[in-house]
Amino acid sequence: MARVVIIGGGWAGCAAAITARKAGAEVVVLEKTDLLLGLGNVGGIMRNNGRFTAAEEIIALGAGELLAITDQVTRHKNINFPGHKHAFLYDVTKVEPLVRKKLAEMQVMVELETRAINVQKEGSWLKSIVLANGSAVEGDVFIETTGSTGPMGNCLRYGNGCSMCILRCPSYGPRVSISQRAGVEDLLGQRGDESYGAYSGSCKLAKNSLSKEIVEKLDREGVVIVPVPTEDVNVKKLAYKVCQQYALKEFAENIILLDTGYAKLMTSYYPLAKLREIPGFEFARYDDPYSGGKGNSIRYLSMAPRNNALKVEGLSNLLCAGEKAGLFVGHTEAIATGSLAGHNSVRLYLGMPLLELPRALALGDLIAFANEKIKTPEGLKNRYTFSGGQYFKQMIAQGLYTTDVETVKLRVERIGLTNIFAEKFL
Amino acid sequence: MKISDCIDAGTEYCPCSLAETGECIMCSQLQGKVFCDCTNWKGVCIYQEYIWNHSQSKENRQVYRCRILAKEAVSPAVTVFTIQVKRTLARELKEPGAYVFLRIPDYPTFFDLPMSIMSADERAGVIKIAVQERGVKTKYLLQREAGRREEQQREEVLLRGPYWNGILGLKYLKSFQKGKALVVVRGIGQAPALPVAKKLLQGGNEVEVLLDRGRIAVDFTGDLFRKMGCRVLEKQLLKREDLTLTEETLAYLQDSLLNKGVGLIYGGGSDLLHQGLSRLIQEVERGAFFVCSNNAQLCCGEGICGSCQTRLADGSRVKRCKTQLAALNIYEGR
Repeated sequence: MARVVIIGGGWAGCAAAITARKAGAEVVVLEKTDLLLGLGNVGGIMRNNGRFTAAEEIIALGAGELLAITDQVTRHKNINFPGHKHAFLYDVTKVEPLVRKKLAEMQVMVELETRAINVQKEGSWLKSIVLANGSAVEGDVFIETTGSTGPMGNCLRYGNGCSMCILRCPSYGPRVSISQRAGVEDLLGQRGDESYGAYSGSCKLAKNSLSKEIVEKLDREGVVIVPVPTEDVNVKKLAYKVCQQYALKEFAENIILLDTGYAKLMTSYYPLAKLREIPGFEFARYDDPYSGGKGNSIRYLSMAPRNNALKVEGLSNLLCAGEKAGLFVGHTEAIATGSLAGHNSVRLYLGMPLLELPRALALGDLIAFANEKIKTPEGLKNRYTFSGGQYFKQMIAQGLYTTDVETVKLRVERIGLTNIFAEKFL
Repeated sequence: MKISDCIDAGTEYCPCSLAETGECIMCSQLQGKVFCDCTNWKGVCIYQEYIWNHSQSKENRQVYRCRILAKEAVSPAVTVFTIQVKRTLARELKEPGAYVFLRIPDYPTFFDLPMSIMSADERAGVIKIAVQERGVKTKYLLQREAGRREEQQREEVLLRGPYWNGILGLKYLKSFQKGKALVVVRGIGQAPALPVAKKLLQGGNEVEVLLDRGRIAVDFTGDLFRKMGCRVLEKQLLKREDLTLTEETLAYLQDSLLNKGVGLIYGGGSDLLHQGLSRLIQEVERGAFFVCSNNAQLCCGEGICGSCQTRLADGSRVKRCKTQLAALNIYEGR
């Protein structure tokens, strides 16, 4: 029996757990906090722009479980906001228990409040993951999905300090880069000015703290756009953001709220006193990060060099996914890379050739594109997502973007990969 | 795997001067690296504390002028000092492994003598310390240097503290519960073993003390151990000729580990005693924890002077005044 150990229980780790399990492995997920999904507990945006195509590709490839859950708890379908079309917004307060239930049904072993801090290896083979309590978790193949957010020291050095985000480093301890511990140096994302890292791109306001009119409109339409007082427009802040698909002029000139259960405020941070001067926001307060008036978490300081099958270079049995696997943004991107890494973990165990998704699919194209770009100095300053920025442009240019579900199915079928992620090897 | 913690991490003395010089024991950001690699999280971000403290270390430990309430000569070689301190300081020194630096006023700081705490009473603000006359500094502290007359005895002592790293393997000691523990002490090592036994008893453990009078030739703690609820056996632990464990002791320890279910051994004596104990624990392979007194040559207690630096089997070097290690890491490969 192949034993696959996944480090990090965010969207990428959960997706990897599902496909590794489907391929027949025994799967353990190590998660440092008391919640799965990590930043998925505060995100919520699905299927906007090219993410629609990508989501349908994931389903056609046979790993639709998590998308079925996000679709199930979607609060708003097909909404538009500046630069973005047909977005689905899932309810972030509903999604995590459903994912946990799904993994339990599939007999994935989930170890919560379990922080990985080191590796034991022989040559280029990882033997086990060392936990903060000193014990070790052995495995045949390992998948690192620890992400690239934080921890506190990085948020302080490259940001405005710990802003008390959902990852709760002070409570559960900081993320440790497993690949770096195994001797493979991390790659570092940059901002336009070549400083390192980038801010998370949104904060969440407590809906109850906003005016009745705003809440009603959010509940009804999913989106509320309020102009920012001219003197407070800070276009410069856009350059700091992770989510370049939301780093548009409209996002500086307007307050854009999306209804994800919270009122998701599409800016990295916004001083509370300034926010409260805006009509309807007089009572506003942040729910994530708690100090959203001051800063946000810093990301992209910990990517592993990897091939397009998501195996980490220089190590024989470590795969990676999610932000660990490149300058990716978003849940869909994490689920896509996670699904591939999970599937490949069993191939690796069996000594089979690892699956690389062809560039005829948006998934394969994004994974390969991000890998080409990360090797260039300019590429390190970009982020890669189906939903906007440089990659969505490329997606359109390549004719990959479509919202027609049947077209996606046909594409996947034509290259013979329909339900590949559902294939059982063991 | 070796996990080394800094005993001061997260305390009011953290970050210390080591942070200012990029030598922090815990934090990668304060070791000259510029990214987090936080394998030894202690619940606070030391880098954050440092930046919020204007990129400076916290204030150093203070030197207190304390009254010596009593000096009791329990043997020609050993004197127990009773010292009046602030109640807060007494509370901070209640932990096993606590120690302070002592020196008679008017002498320069290089007379500072690291001394383990034998007992601390936080309500009375009193601590007890047993001093064995050994070298220059102990002789000065006991005021037995040439020319000192009885009427010139000072009633005060300068005390710097609190320090806590007098024991290696503290986390095992603190987490061991409802088991059987052996406290193996020799000579002056009896004194700092009293708080150890107390801690073990608080954890609901059965505690047996093997006590060897050693070079000081006096048992001044046996009754105190018994009063706490320990069983005390007097034994000759080491052979006179080569200071290895006697056959009888070896047999007794083996029996304790193999048949009596002893899960933790504390060694309070010389490096040779600890070496014997650690070797035995490793040979018996019953997973018993080893905890022992930190016998490094402590001089400043702050990780600055380098006198306590020790090279481990893996080639790394540790500052033993501040680094909290498993005791086996120190004695392996020696």
